[in-house]
Amino acid sequence: MKNRRAGPHWRRTFLCSFALLFLSLGQAAASPQQKSIKEELFVLPGEVGKRGGRLVFALRGEPKTLNPLIAADTRSREVIGIMQADLVHINRATQLTEPALAKSWKISPDGLQYTIVLRHGLKFSDGQPLDADDVLFTFRVYLDENVHAPQRDLLIISGKPITVRKLDARTVVFRLPKTYGVGERLFDGLAILPRHLLEKPYQEGKVSQIGTLATAANQWAGLGPFRLKEYVAGQRLVLERNPYYWKTDVNGNRLPYADELVFLFVPNADAQVLKFQSGETDAIAQLSAENFSVLSRQLRGYTMVDAGPGLEYNFLFFNLNDLGEKTSPELTRKQKWFREVRFRQAVSAAVDREAIVRLVYQGRGTPLWGLVAPGNRRWGNEELAHPPRSLERARALLKDAGFSWGNGPNGESSLLDSEGKPVEFSILTSSTNADRAKMATLIQDDLKQLGMRVQVVPLEFRSLLDRVTQTKEYDACVMGIASYDADPNSDINVWLSSGGTHLWNPSQEHPATAWEAEIDRLISEQMIARTFAQRKKLYDRAQEILAENQPMIFLASPDILAGAKNSLGNFQPAVLEPYVLWNVEQLHLKNAPENAPR
Amino acid sequence: MRFFFRRLRHACFLLFGVSILAFLFTTLAPGNYFDEMRLNPQIAPETMAALRAQYQLDRPLPVRYVSWMNSVLHGQMGFSFAYNSPVAPILFVRARNTLLLTITATLIAWGIALPLGVWSAERFGRLPDRLLSWATAALLVIPDLALALGLLVLTVRTGWFPTGSMTSLDFGSLSLGGKFRDLALHMTLPVAALVLSGLPLLIRHVRAAVAEVLDAPFMLAARGHGIPRRTLLYRYALRVAANPLISLFGFSIGALLSGSLLVEVVMSWPGLGPLLLESILSRDLYVVIDGVLFSTMFLVSGNLIADILLYWADPRIRTESAAR
Repeated sequence: MKNRRAGPHWRRTFLCSFALLFLSLGQAAASPQQKSIKEELFVLPGEVGKRGGRLVFALRGEPKTLNPLIAADTRSREVIGIMQADLVHINRATQLTEPALAKSWKISPDGLQYTIVLRHGLKFSDGQPLDADDVLFTFRVYLDENVHAPQRDLLIISGKPITVRKLDARTVVFRLPKTYGVGERLFDGLAILPRHLLEKPYQEGKVSQIGTLATAANQWAGLGPFRLKEYVAGQRLVLERNPYYWKTDVNGNRLPYADELVFLFVPNADAQVLKFQSGETDAIAQLSAENFSVLSRQLRGYTMVDAGPGLEYNFLFFNLNDLGEKTSPELTRKQKWFREVRFRQAVSAAVDREAIVRLVYQGRGTPLWGLVAPGNRRWGNEELAHPPRSLERARALLKDAGFSWGNGPNGESSLLDSEGKPVEFSILTSSTNADRAKMATLIQDDLKQLGMRVQVVPLEFRSLLDRVTQTKEYDACVMGIASYDADPNSDINVWLSSGGTHLWNPSQEHPATAWEAEIDRLISEQMIARTFAQRKKLYDRAQEILAENQPMIFLASPDILAGAKNSLGNFQPAVLEPYVLWNVEQLHLKNAPENAPR
Repeated sequence: MRFFFRRLRHACFLLFGVSILAFLFTTLAPGNYFDEMRLNPQIAPETMAALRAQYQLDRPLPVRYVSWMNSVLHGQMGFSFAYNSPVAPILFVRARNTLLLTITATLIAWGIALPLGVWSAERFGRLPDRLLSWATAALLVIPDLALALGLLVLTVRTGWFPTGSMTSLDFGSLSLGGKFRDLALHMTLPVAALVLSGLPLLIRHVRAAVAEVLDAPFMLAARGHGIPRRTLLYRYALRVAANPLISLFGFSIGALLSGSLLVEVVMSWPGLGPLLLESILSRDLYVVIDGVLFSTMFLVSGNLIADILLYWADPRIRTESAAR
C-alpha cells in the first residue's frame, strides 16, 4: 500500500523537480544575461554606459594567433587580452592589482603559498563552467617544457617551477620555491585556458598548433569580455560580446556594453590616422607626436588626449662585450674608451635631452636619467640627480680620463685619445623607427661639439638586433624598450648581467664588473624581499649604481598619445599597454541604437 | 607543341633556380623571426633557443631547403612562424585578392590604352597627340606611391570612397547587388592608382607600334583600295603592330602578383603586399620565399603565354621553330 501511495507522489515530485530543473536550465541557456544567485560578479566603478553598437579600432597589421601559448607579437597579445582573462589583474589606470577571476587570495606568512579562491558561477564564452581543474590544467600547460610557452619563464623562480594544487572546486594553492617580491602581479596576463577545448590537443601534443585565426568561432572560448565571431583574412577580426562575462557596472548591467568589437588591419600608421580622421574607427592609440599634432589641429568630432609619459625608455649604449680573440683591433681600441666610465659620463653630460624631447617628441615626452620611466609611479628613484646638459663638465671628465683635443683634417676641433688617435665611432639605429633615427642624429650633433666624430647608421630592425645580440659587431646603438609592467620584474633581464636584454654585454656567465655584480645582488635581493619598502630601497640603490656607471645613457620617454570620437564613452587612455582598450568592457557608444537589449 | 614543351621546360628550370636563390638570400639575411623576442626581458634565451630548434632554424641550409621543397610538393608551401600554420592557405587568400585587383586594373588599362593609343597614332604629331603625350609623360614621372597617397587624401577630404580594405563591415548582410557595389567602391581607389600608373606606358607602346605600321606601304595600298578607316586601323594596322604589344601583355601578366604591392600597402588592400612587407620585416622566411616563387611563376607564365600568342600571331616564329 505504502508503495502504491508513494509511487505517484514520488513521480509527481520527480516530474516537478525535473520540470523546474529543465525550466531553470532553459532560462540559463536562453538568457545568460540573467544573473544566477550563485554568480559572484565583479562590479566596476565608473560612468554607466549604453548597451549596444559596434566599436571599431585599427590594428597596425594582423594578429597572428588567438592561442596565448604561442603569441609572440604585440597585436596577438592585445587581441588575446580581450578574449581571455587572468586570475589577478593589474589595473592599467592605478597600476595596482585587482581581483579578476580570483575573488580573493591569501598569502601565507612565509610568502611561499598563495591560496586563490575563484568566483562562483564563472563560465567560458561558450557557456562551459570554469573550475579549479581549468586553472590546474592551464598551469600544467604553461609549465610544460615541450609547449615552449613564453609564460613558462615567468613561472620559474630560482630555476624551480611554481607548483599548483587544488583544494576544492573553487580553490587552488600555488606554492613558490622561494619568496617572490612581485607577489600576486605574477598572475597578470596569464590567461586561464579552457580545458574542455584544449585538453585533447594537449594530450596529442598539438596544443601549439591550434587557435589559428581561421579557427571556427564555436571552437574557441575564453573568459574575456569579447569572443570570436569572424575573421576575414587580411581585412578584419570581428569579436562579439561575451554574454557570460563576469563584470557589471554599478547599476548591475552586465558588461561589456558594446555588442561587437571590430579590429581592422591597417598596415601603416598614416593609413591608421586617415581611417580615424574619416570616422571609420572610433579611437586611435600609439600616435607619433607629429600625427598627434596634425589630428589636434583639425578636431572634427573627436578628442585627442595626452595621457602623459609612458613606460618606454630610449637609451644609447656602447659595445662593452668581451669578444676575446674575435674582437677586431679597431673595436679593441674603441672599447678602451667605451669601458672608461668617465667617457660614458661625458657623453651623458653632453647629450641634450631637452632638445630630444622638443625636437623628436614635439614637447610630448620627458627627459630621462634612469631606467624607470616617469610613467612608472611607484618605482622611480626620486633622489636620482637630473644634471642639466653641460659641455664643460663633459670636457672636464674627458680631460680627466686622458683625452685631449687637436685639429681635425678640416681645421675643426677633434677629440683625441691617450694614443693621439681621433675619437670616431658609429651609432646604429633602427631605420623603421623615425624617432630613434632623429635621436641618433641629435646625439651626433651634441657629440660633435666635444670633438667626437659620430656616424649614424640606420639598419633594418632585425639586422640591428642581429648585430647587437649575435655578432656584436657594433660601436654604439640607440634603442628603446617599453616595460610591460611597472614592477621591476618586467625588466629583470635588462638589469641582471646574465640577462639576454642586458644589452651592453648580454648573457654574461659571471658579472664582468664589480658594479654589475652589485646590481645583480641588489636586484636578486629585491626579488625575494617581502615588503614594498624593502624592495624599493634595494631598487633605488640599483638605479643609483646604473646612473653612476652609465652603461645605458638614458635619453627620453615619449608620452602616450591617443584620440577617440566624442561619441565614445569611458575613454580613459592609460600609460600601460593596452593603452586604449584596457577598459574595453566599459567603452560604450553614446549614440548606440536605443533598442539594444539590457 | 614541341615549341610549347621546350618553353615549359625552360620555365621549370627557371623556377627551380629562383627557388634556390630566393631560399638562399632570404635565409642568409641577418636576423630571424624570434630575434624580436630578445627584446622582451621576460623571455629567457633558452626559450628562444627551443623555439628556433622547434622550427628547424638551427638545421643546416640544405636540410631546410629539402624540407621546404618537400612541403611545397605536398601543397603546404612551408610553415609560417608568425601564423603558426602552413603558408599555402595564408598566401592563396591574399593572392586571390591581389589578382582581383590587378586583373581588373590590367583589363581596364588595356581597354583604355588600345583605342587611345591607336587614336593618338592616327593623329601622330598633331595637337591632340602632343597633348596626350604630355599627359602620359606627366603620369609617368609621378611615382606610384605619390599617386596612391594623392588619391587617398582626395578621398579623405571628399568622403567619396572608403579609405582602404576590400569590403565593408556589413558586407555579409548585403544583397548580391549590394555586395558587388560595395566591392566596386572599395576597388575604385586602388584600381585607379594602378591604372593611372600603368596606362602611360601602354598608351605609348601602342601609339609607337601602330604609328610605325601606319606609314608602311601596304597600309597606303589598303587605304587606296578604299578599306574603311576603322577596319584599317583595328583589323590590319593593330594586327601587324601586335608583336611588341603581345610581349608587353605577357609582361602585364607577369606583373599581376608583384605590380600592386606598394599600392596595396598604402591603400590597406588585403593582398600580398601587406603580407609580404610584414613577412620580410619579421623574417617569416617561407612566406617571403613562397611570395617570390609565386611572382616568378606568374612572370614565367606571362612570358609563356606571350610566346604562345606570338607563335600564333607571327608566322615567322612558326617557320623558325619548325626549321629548328
